[in-house]
Amino acid sequence: MSRFRGPLIALAALVGTGAPTVGADDKPPSAEGAAFFEKKIRPVLVAECYACHSSEPGKKARGGLVLDTRDGTRKGGDSGAVIVPGDPARSPLVQALKHGDAKTAMPPKKKLDADVVRDFEEWVRIGAPDPRGARAAGKYIDIEEGRKHWAYQPPKKPVAPQVKNAAWPRTEIDRFVLEGLEAKGLTPVADADRRALIRRVTFDLTGLPPTAAEVSAFVEDAAPDAFEKVVDRLLASPRFGEKWARHWLDVARFAESTGKTVNFNYPHAWRYRDYVIAAFNADKPYDQFVKEQLAGDLMPTDDAKRRAERLVATGFLAIGPKTLNERNGLKFELDIVDEQIDVTTHAFLGVTAACARCHDHKFDPIPQADYYALAGIFRSTETCYGTVRYINAQRQSPLVVLPKEASAAVARLTDTERKRIEDQIKSVRDNIAKLKDPTQQFLTSGQLSLLQARLDAYDGDGNPKLVAMGVRDRPARAEAAPPKGGFAGFTYNGSRVIGDSPVFARGEHDQPGTARVPRGTLQVMTAAPLKVPAGTSGRLELAEWIASTRNPLTARVMVNRVWLQLFGRGLVPSADDFGMAGRRPTHPELLDHLALAFVDNGWSTKKLIRSVVTSRVYQLGSVANKAALEIDPENARLWRVSPRRLDAESLRDALLTVSDQLDTTAPTGSVVARAGEGPVARFGGGGEPIGAAANDPRNRHRSVYLPVVRDNLPEALALFDAADPALITSDRPRTTVPAQGLFLMNSAFVLRAADAAADVLLKGTATEGERVRAAFLRFYGRPPTDKEQTGSAAFLKAYRAQLATDRVPAAQHERESWSAFCQALFASAEFQYRK
Amino acid sequence: MFSRRALLKGTSTGFGYLAFAALAHQQAARGANGRTDPLAPKKPHFAPKAKRVIFLCMEGAPSHLDTFDYKPRLSADDGKAAPGRFAGRLMGSPFKFAQHGKSGLWISDLFPEVARHADKLCLLNGMHTDLPNHAQAYLQMHCGLFQFPRPSLGAWVLYGLGSPNENLPGFVTIAPPPTNGGSANYAASFLPAVCQGTKINRGTEQVSNLKNARRTAGAQRVQLDFVQDLNRATADALGESPEIEGLISSYELAFRMQGELPKVLDLSKESAATLKLYGADERAGGGTGGGFGPAAGGPTTFGRQCLLARRLVEAGVRFVEVTMGGWDHHSGIKSALTSSCRAIDKPIAGLLDDLQARGLLDDTLVLWGGEFGRTPHAQGDGRDHNNKGFTTWMAGGGAKGGFAHGRTDDHGFEAVDGKVHMHDWHATILHLLGLDHEKLTYRYAGRDMRLTDVKGNVVKAVVA
Repeated sequence: MSRFRGPLIALAALVGTGAPTVGADDKPPSAEGAAFFEKKIRPVLVAECYACHSSEPGKKARGGLVLDTRDGTRKGGDSGAVIVPGDPARSPLVQALKHGDAKTAMPPKKKLDADVVRDFEEWVRIGAPDPRGARAAGKYIDIEEGRKHWAYQPPKKPVAPQVKNAAWPRTEIDRFVLEGLEAKGLTPVADADRRALIRRVTFDLTGLPPTAAEVSAFVEDAAPDAFEKVVDRLLASPRFGEKWARHWLDVARFAESTGKTVNFNYPHAWRYRDYVIAAFNADKPYDQFVKEQLAGDLMPTDDAKRRAERLVATGFLAIGPKTLNERNGLKFELDIVDEQIDVTTHAFLGVTAACARCHDHKFDPIPQADYYALAGIFRSTETCYGTVRYINAQRQSPLVVLPKEASAAVARLTDTERKRIEDQIKSVRDNIAKLKDPTQQFLTSGQLSLLQARLDAYDGDGNPKLVAMGVRDRPARAEAAPPKGGFAGFTYNGSRVIGDSPVFARGEHDQPGTARVPRGTLQVMTAAPLKVPAGTSGRLELAEWIASTRNPLTARVMVNRVWLQLFGRGLVPSADDFGMAGRRPTHPELLDHLALAFVDNGWSTKKLIRSVVTSRVYQLGSVANKAALEIDPENARLWRVSPRRLDAESLRDALLTVSDQLDTTAPTGSVVARAGEGPVARFGGGGEPIGAAANDPRNRHRSVYLPVVRDNLPEALALFDAADPALITSDRPRTTVPAQGLFLMNSAFVLRAADAAADVLLKGTATEGERVRAAFLRFYGRPPTDKEQTGSAAFLKAYRAQLATDRVPAAQHERESWSAFCQALFASAEFQYRK
Repeated sequence: MFSRRALLKGTSTGFGYLAFAALAHQQAARGANGRTDPLAPKKPHFAPKAKRVIFLCMEGAPSHLDTFDYKPRLSADDGKAAPGRFAGRLMGSPFKFAQHGKSGLWISDLFPEVARHADKLCLLNGMHTDLPNHAQAYLQMHCGLFQFPRPSLGAWVLYGLGSPNENLPGFVTIAPPPTNGGSANYAASFLPAVCQGTKINRGTEQVSNLKNARRTAGAQRVQLDFVQDLNRATADALGESPEIEGLISSYELAFRMQGELPKVLDLSKESAATLKLYGADERAGGGTGGGFGPAAGGPTTFGRQCLLARRLVEAGVRFVEVTMGGWDHHSGIKSALTSSCRAIDKPIAGLLDDLQARGLLDDTLVLWGGEFGRTPHAQGDGRDHNNKGFTTWMAGGGAKGGFAHGRTDDHGFEAVDGKVHMHDWHATILHLLGLDHEKLTYRYAGRDMRLTDVKGNVVKAVVA
């Protein structure tokens, strides 16, 4: 190597940094040199050279030359060095790129653009700076070292916290928090008043405001366990599951359509939504909840109802976004698998293993092989998501057939209706026969397929078929008959049997390695490899490993999710990244304490929530304190409860509640279920029926039941930062944008709610003063102050005067002014914020 | 750059808003006119050629071979088998090409009006993109990538430059399609939510919730004063509360927007001469014939939308996109393309005339193009998708007029010279706006994200 010294010294001057440009020794190249390599050279090497010149086991290294490491590139191949840094003319690599000699021309079948060849010349001229590792990327991953990261260590029973102010804490949680506060010289603010407290806990646990009667009952209850009684009442309410399911649905990227390029309905996704609501209401042990979503189909039971429930649970793996117009079947399969790995590791483990599809994880000790160990499990699994074959969507799958105990979302198909559809089919067929242009025939055939799918949704007697989205194991052997069941479609041409997956170089479907990776899980989190029984996918074993008490992350991640929803900030602030690039917990001992208690309490989410909300820290006031703001502006230490805007669903539901409009019955199915299979927005179809239904101001159901169509969320939710179901969301963004103000000022939904609330006030009270008081109690859970009474009266007077100026007929003034008053309260910060 | 969303993501509401306030403060320091809102104008990285953008987006992929990429050899080889692995017979353009202007740019007779402006056009004849699928390519054209949700071009521009008019949204998209990625094409994604495009609905040419059918502006002012009194009381009771302060100012902006935006959207006071200039006086109609995709209006609709775009940029909106659908001419290209082009020819020519007359063309970058082009071989009497070579053009805003950059092969199938990938196109647009595409970054998911991902080269040749 020393022969490169000469040119190198000259080069340093060329680049002008003074630093050695190229590491003939192990010094890194200059920033400019590295940047040049990254921008101009590496992409070409990756795209054009690695396939035949790779150091990876099982990959080719033609001519003994590897180009995916710095040392290999330097060393050259069987016939010697391929680059002479500083001297392009003497570098065989550059000459090969120029295709001067057919025998050595590279890449052999295509000459690269002249620009690219020039870049290589320039690169060699400046000394071939190469910031890559000596070995191929990723061989540096040291699993043992990685295990030392706090999150990959099992939770430890923490030492009891030491606090000075022993009188303040009420529970163990308080002692942990107070210890942290005292360490920073902070003191907690005063406790919240009872009205604020019941409003806070009612929103947090049920997503709805307390009624005026509930508020006064709590205010007047002198019993020492008055608050615990409220908490238990709320935990037992069916509204609890509707609120907490929504948090999980964010994480599970729940939606009722494929999204992505062509957006098609998932008419059966609602079953998964209902499963999650029921699971939270029933306080299903979290470990059970995890297992059912990953492998419910593989958990034997004789109970048909339970079986149906477990099949529906696996919808978790099927409801992700899909590119139905993907032309390559294998790529389509690998994309689904990737999405499944992403959601599984994100949701349950708080790590981003999907990064390892193309290369070893950049931050976490997750080698690419671990990714393909997981991929083998999911590739041995068939994803059943339905959809219909259409002109621009060619990737259908069967659905999971449910036992007949399941409920149906739609009414029976009447004979008249069947006849009508059959007639339509006939007339479209006749039409197609008349068309001459094959393109037009093709386009029209789409209509046929939609009509046929409508018929196929029912059995011969007109009963809706009971099907769900979900997964099942592929057959163990190729000769086994494909599993029965499902309808309307065919399986995409993926790997059809259970088996291990190769590593795909750079995640590209046309670059499979020769060796297969045994199915398994993330090495850094486990001591023993996964034992996968022959003839099974390994999904059940994966689920059991995740749901095991020994998994270092599962309980911590869930406990942190619950804390995040209750305090607006997780103990681990990066709720979706517990890995090396995530943020460390602010209260590591408290996190472990909660995680261990969670497991000890049978993975009960309700007990966990109860333990947090009955702590004193949860019941703190929210008034800011200048001194504390100086020390801890983020309120990371929890010296107060940070006020925050209600989430989108709670805000909409609260509007409906205080205007006495909310319909708390749970609708069966969803708008999407009734729309059936097909594209969300139809070509040339005009009108978007689902969008219109989602935004219908007359819809009075709770927000969790509104249709969740990807790229088309209901306006009332989308504007207020509802989770985008294209993404896995742990912590929603919180934005304040003018479009929210316009919605509150002008939307039909808000005006309707304001009118309804005004009508309630006008009916229930006689005087203006009483009305204002009733409104404050109803909207804010507290009576108005004297100043607010006067201010409200002044507003009403001014508004009526304005109505007169605007020549609104006097007969309308009363209702209009009260409607405007109610709308003003909707728009007020106190209504929208939970303090 | 300060990563607001990154901070918001892992923090409490209170701090989120502190971060927001800090961001506003920092931007005000860069800002030009003392505004402290997050969209206050910011200094670009270097002196810009263009200050604003009008993007005329042709959804469905118009044929370059029949419009702006003259291929005499294709006509000569009409009916011959297409070379290489591509089945089908070559189809010469049924339209006549001629040279226009001093520059002699070749433009087909589908664009008699636009051809008057030949010396203003900068044709990019060597465009290419990754995939010949509408949705993916449409997303790539807007967001750089289609594999993951990413901010739209307009959102990046707004994030980089802010917006001069505090009473209007900074990024407006007129009649965007519900398909091909839908709202993802004007999303802020991980950028601050204020950067997302405000949609002007197809058909009505209005913005959602902008008008109140019941309450007059006067009544709403009385009402908003009451709301803000309540809000101030809440803010006072909480002590320091930048979050409520943020709410108060956002309501004021909403109120100003509903006062200002309808005036900009109202075309009723435009003179007959202006409407005529944009072709917006003609009877509605046109349609798209054999194109399949959302139906597009005739010159009246598109003319009104172009006029609206001009009014919006003139009022200080930074980035305006106008979508014209129906370019997916798989069949009947002769009649269908004729009617599609007729629907945009006069409006676009009128827009260029009007921008010039108002002195806006020099620093307004006008972009025209679709997500890809079409094949030289026939598909029945139409053309199939082609991502390997196609044409877009720029005008004004520092783009070299009367200039054709790059070329496709003799049949117009594949770009062979002066190739411009969508990433390069984005890099060049940002460059004209004074933004370095490698420096315009936003920290998200542990990476400094860019519109151009890890790619993109500025096409210096097209800069005037």
